[in-house]
Amino acid sequence: MFALRGIAVSLTFFVLVYCFLSALVAVSWRWLKWLHATEQSVADLLFLLRVLPLCASIVITAAFVVPSFQILEPRTADEGTGILPVALGVAALALIAFGSYRVIAAQMRTSRIVGRWLEGARPLATDARTVTFRSRRETPPLTLVGMRKPRVLVSDSTVELLSRDELLIALKHELAHIRSCDNLKKLVFRFSPFPGMAKLEAAWSQAAELAADDAAVSNLNDAVDLASALVKLSRLIPVEAAPACTVGFVTGSIGARVARLLAWSESGKQRARDIPRWFAVPPVAVALICAIVAYGPVLSLTHEVTEWLVR
Amino acid sequence: MRFSIFGSTSTPQLGPFEQQLLRELWVRGDATVRELLDDGKLRQAYTTVMTTLDRLYKKGILDRVAEGRAFRYTPRLSSEELQRGAALDGIRQLLGSGDTSSLPLSYLVEALSAHDVELLDELQLLIERKRREIKAGGIKGQDPMVLGSNAKDRR
Repeated sequence: MFALRGIAVSLTFFVLVYCFLSALVAVSWRWLKWLHATEQSVADLLFLLRVLPLCASIVITAAFVVPSFQILEPRTADEGTGILPVALGVAALALIAFGSYRVIAAQMRTSRIVGRWLEGARPLATDARTVTFRSRRETPPLTLVGMRKPRVLVSDSTVELLSRDELLIALKHELAHIRSCDNLKKLVFRFSPFPGMAKLEAAWSQAAELAADDAAVSNLNDAVDLASALVKLSRLIPVEAAPACTVGFVTGSIGARVARLLAWSESGKQRARDIPRWFAVPPVAVALICAIVAYGPVLSLTHEVTEWLVR
Repeated sequence: MRFSIFGSTSTPQLGPFEQQLLRELWVRGDATVRELLDDGKLRQAYTTVMTTLDRLYKKGILDRVAEGRAFRYTPRLSSEELQRGAALDGIRQLLGSGDTSSLPLSYLVEALSAHDVELLDELQLLIERKRREIKAGGIKGQDPMVLGSNAKDRR
């Protein structure tokens, strides 16, 4: 009974913190549009915001709720578990199960479709540092698939349509997605569903595309080649919707991407600043110190809230 | 900036002066009648501006709070939200207009495809123009070191 009550209370805390933080993120992420930084920084921040509710709720539950229950709850207490913790505990389990189902379903569908696309595919020798396969005409024009062993699938139509330079720069774009582990990030999104997060994910997707464009391009010729590749491949009619865990080359607002590429300049690239990663260190250090210093009182407070919930 | 999708939907229809005032408020964020007139962009009388803002408020497009003896007006919707609403209304009307539901949808797909092709043609022209500029006038924005390393790969 003690263990069951502990599990119910922990799951209750988890789901409450998760929902509160998710709602907060879903409402407030648009403030990032005022940020003047590189698209890579914007994409990183959007990703961090998207996963923050899940990570924070796991950390808070594991670091505070479980220990407070283990240490401060008398094991002999013959308390029942209230309706609220049971209901919220079930909701938390349903949320975890739904997230897991979405991840497994997306992975299975992706594997099935990518397996079909790879039928008859043969390695394509390119100068780009990516494992590239040339697939049949009816497959999507240029797609990054896989997480542990990422591969780029290039259809026959794409090879015929693009010049060598255009194909190389498009592959560099996909290489940037590989470095950012964008397929894995998409899978993480699927594990933590919450209403209102679709717009944040769309904004992340657009920022990730722009960041990959920026990473691929190092001069104006590259930018024009990439823009040309985008327009040429946009004319190909998609045969089927790409599965969740893949990154297609023709994604996001094509007009905006092409306009941005055609306005490329070295000075413009230097003007946008990366947000240094060490900016995160001071707030995390302060939070850690506060948590260590006030750990005892926080555990007591958590336990009081737990008691209130159980009643 | 033109708002060509205003009108002909269940989203409130706006006249040219209403649109002009709304644009001013989107730029400023909020304003009183006096502040709008003090900018010097409007030539209308104080009462005309006041009546038009009141009409926009009654149409549900503006919010207002009393400030002394006047009102301070704020747009309730952003430009994007208003355009989105108008576009959705238009699409709903289109889908509800035919005897068979698939017919208007096919018109929509056709129109979108035509729009896409036109857009891609325009983009292609821009790319070709840029290539000509690069060829004619040297490479603007070029990083010399990268150019040197990539020069052999160029067509």
